[in-house]
Amino acid sequence: MAGGAPATSGRRVLRVLLRDRGAVLSGAYLALIVLMAICAPLITAITGHGPNDFDTAAVDTDLGGVPYGTLGGISAEHPLGVEPQNGRDILARIAYGARVSLIIAASATALTTLLGVVLGMLAGFYQGWVDQVICRVMDFLMAFPALIFMIAILSALPQGNRPVLLVVVISVFGWPYLARVVRGQTLTLVNREFVEAARACGASTGALVFKEILPNLRSSLIVMTTLAVPGYVGTEAGLSFLGVGVTPPTPSWGQMISSSVGWYAVDPMYFVIPGGFLFLTVLSLTVLGDRIRAAYDAGEAA
Amino acid sequence: MMARYVAGRLAGVVVILFLVCLFTFVLFFTLQPDPAVMICGKTCTPERIDQIRGVLGLDRPFFTQFFGFLAGIFAGRDYGEGANLVHCPAPCLGYSFQTNQSVMEMVVERLPVSATVAIGAAVLWLLVGIAAGLLSAVKEGTWIDRTAMGLALGGSSIPNYVLALALQYVLVVQLQVLPFPQAVAFSDDPLTWFQSYLMPWIVLATGYACLYARLTRANVIDTLAENFMRTARSKGLPPLLTMRRHALRPALTPIATIFGMDFAGLLGGALITETVFGLNGVGKMAADSIAKNDQPVIMAVTLLAAFFVVVGNVVVDLVYTRLDPRVRITSP
Amino acid sequence: MSELLEVEDLTVTFPTTRGPVDVVKNVSFTVGRDETVGIVGESGSGKSMTSLAVMGLLPKGAITSGSIRLDGTELLGRPERELRRLRGDQMSMIFQDPLSSLNPYYTVGLQIEEMYRAHRDRSRKAARKVAIEALAQVGLPDPERRVNHYPHQFSGGQRQRIMIAMALVCRPKLLIADEPTTALDVTVQAQILRLLADLRSQSGTGMVFITHDLAVISSIATRVLVMRRGEQVEYGTAEQIFAEPRHAYTRMLLESIPRIDDEVAP
Repeated sequence: MAGGAPATSGRRVLRVLLRDRGAVLSGAYLALIVLMAICAPLITAITGHGPNDFDTAAVDTDLGGVPYGTLGGISAEHPLGVEPQNGRDILARIAYGARVSLIIAASATALTTLLGVVLGMLAGFYQGWVDQVICRVMDFLMAFPALIFMIAILSALPQGNRPVLLVVVISVFGWPYLARVVRGQTLTLVNREFVEAARACGASTGALVFKEILPNLRSSLIVMTTLAVPGYVGTEAGLSFLGVGVTPPTPSWGQMISSSVGWYAVDPMYFVIPGGFLFLTVLSLTVLGDRIRAAYDAGEAA
Repeated sequence: MMARYVAGRLAGVVVILFLVCLFTFVLFFTLQPDPAVMICGKTCTPERIDQIRGVLGLDRPFFTQFFGFLAGIFAGRDYGEGANLVHCPAPCLGYSFQTNQSVMEMVVERLPVSATVAIGAAVLWLLVGIAAGLLSAVKEGTWIDRTAMGLALGGSSIPNYVLALALQYVLVVQLQVLPFPQAVAFSDDPLTWFQSYLMPWIVLATGYACLYARLTRANVIDTLAENFMRTARSKGLPPLLTMRRHALRPALTPIATIFGMDFAGLLGGALITETVFGLNGVGKMAADSIAKNDQPVIMAVTLLAAFFVVVGNVVVDLVYTRLDPRVRITSP
Repeated sequence: MSELLEVEDLTVTFPTTRGPVDVVKNVSFTVGRDETVGIVGESGSGKSMTSLAVMGLLPKGAITSGSIRLDGTELLGRPERELRRLRGDQMSMIFQDPLSSLNPYYTVGLQIEEMYRAHRDRSRKAARKVAIEALAQVGLPDPERRVNHYPHQFSGGQRQRIMIAMALVCRPKLLIADEPTTALDVTVQAQILRLLADLRSQSGTGMVFITHDLAVISSIATRVLVMRRGEQVEYGTAEQIFAEPRHAYTRMLLESIPRIDDEVAP
């Protein structure tokens, strides 16, 4: 009764979500972005403009590089316009930038979840000095001014392998928040009767962990993870905005926003487009995460 | 036993700060491009680099450097010798040869700006966030609630640099309602001072206000469903008193602790906001020093920010024992 | 001269996604000025809803019909403002879980005082004296000191005494006790029951005592109302109910009470 995971809860949540307008819209937008990211090379092949192809014909060099035409150079040729000065196709750069954002956010999520779950469960399960050590490490990492440190590390390190470094750095500072929740839940679960009952039946530690504890963590895990993803997207964009993210010429939405600062008086679209994409992506992730959480909460109450 | 508890917590603070120090030192020791090269500049010779390294003490082994730094915090420190002697009074968090100031001096100069940004934003986000959350909770399910929460979700999704740039564009460039932020003291020109801080306050407050609105709403809704609210109603108390006394305190107390932590974090400097608006605070100092590779400053800023967070944690826990009667510190 | 409480044909309906549901259907009973009426039933029988209807504390969306008269005055349909004046002053209620029913952030003294100050005297000094007296009356030792303590510093039985003190501080005419002893240890149960009986007879308060436990009813109620699934199943004096239960359900409830002289299967 109390032990195993409610097998239908995932399906129930999905049904609730499909009926929720906000969740559906967010999901649709995210699917679009994912599609755009996956098909980035295809898009480039169709338009004929790569993310790093200069197109000086599209910008007015006499005026310092302002794109021709209104709205930052939007045309049939360049559906989202061009960058000032170098004329790079913004659509291509947005598509490839989406790849960067999504891959880094997904990887950071995976790594954070792995670290958070493993360490949180170790602390909650074994308690004693293992718990003490892990808790101290968590306190230490959470006290760290993460942003300052991330910038400092990233600017001190050599330029290669940026995405990997970003993922590692974000995850190192991100896992304690998940681990804290996992540890708390593991502690309460470990003391519950069904665990004692399982032990009394001679269940091994492994079976205990995978069959009794993990399934009960599932809903909190899903909720916490989906709530953290927009943060990772925002952090990567922020770091790129400050110049310590992915190295140019690899496109990143944050870096595009940073470059747009000097131009927004004459070419506001160069700011609006990446800014808009970033905002909508984070918003969709946030709304979806919020709806998922609400769906799980409603399930608990029922 | 209260004293014992506080002593224990402070000991923990010292340990964590020591570890932060060590960790940062190790990282910079192993990774950093040679700061001497950075300081040396364009007309550099190997002898000059060695000289600078000698002055900075960079030629000494790791632990000597580290403990020299720690000792400097308590007793002050001297760099170089003879005519080039530079004395850095206690607490010496380092000396920046790029700006020729002790880091402590630099921090003291810039802390007021960061504090102004933090306090102004805090007042704004507390007022707006909590009021919005309360209203939403009381009007749960109505269009007011849905609109407010929709705005809260939206507001929390805008990265603050995007909001900063968007606000600047709309208010300064297009509508020309505000000037670009300038560095003026309050006593010199209150109006410009206010106008300069207004956008940073709004930008910084937005994210937090949205979060606090959602938190307050959830807490108030939960509190209103509690059994003691039913008791209060059954006593026939006036409704305003019931809300004010029985609902607000349980609902807002957890938020007070979260606020303490958030505010402590901001005292270390709001890096992105200050950078985008060009405000000369501790956050901007951090960003600049990273760009220029001014190691002592980076070191100190990291330590300072961690200090505020860790001490803030202890303060918050202590304040919480005053606020929640169930969590009083009693003898074991 | 009307009875203290007259409930006539009370029906409480809730609109649900599956259509309107009657949680209380045509319930009628009366409570005399100095008597205790017990309402017995299992969970979901509607007994709590009945009492909440009397107090006017039903959750939002409830539709009530019928009549509830307190000392001759009709309660149903009264504006909230007037009901508020009656609550605490003329009619009071105590609940099942005293820990969650008291606000953990305030002293018990304050929670009793605010009741007095809302209906009688605004003065804090007078209220403080009354609160201390009330705690003494319910048998709490050292009331001058303990009036400044918080709910979590008391035991379960003591907290229920505090609730009782709070409910009776304005000497209401009617006290509704919704399963006040269910969450307590058996020995403490007996003490609380005795306390309620004593206080009630001292001040001449009429009481409605709600429980799922027939054995408890037998010791304190003069009349008993048996409810099942919102409906009134049996209503009569305690002797009648226990000696000659007319309804099968009542008989079933009676039989489920374990007796010390029951045969134990070998």
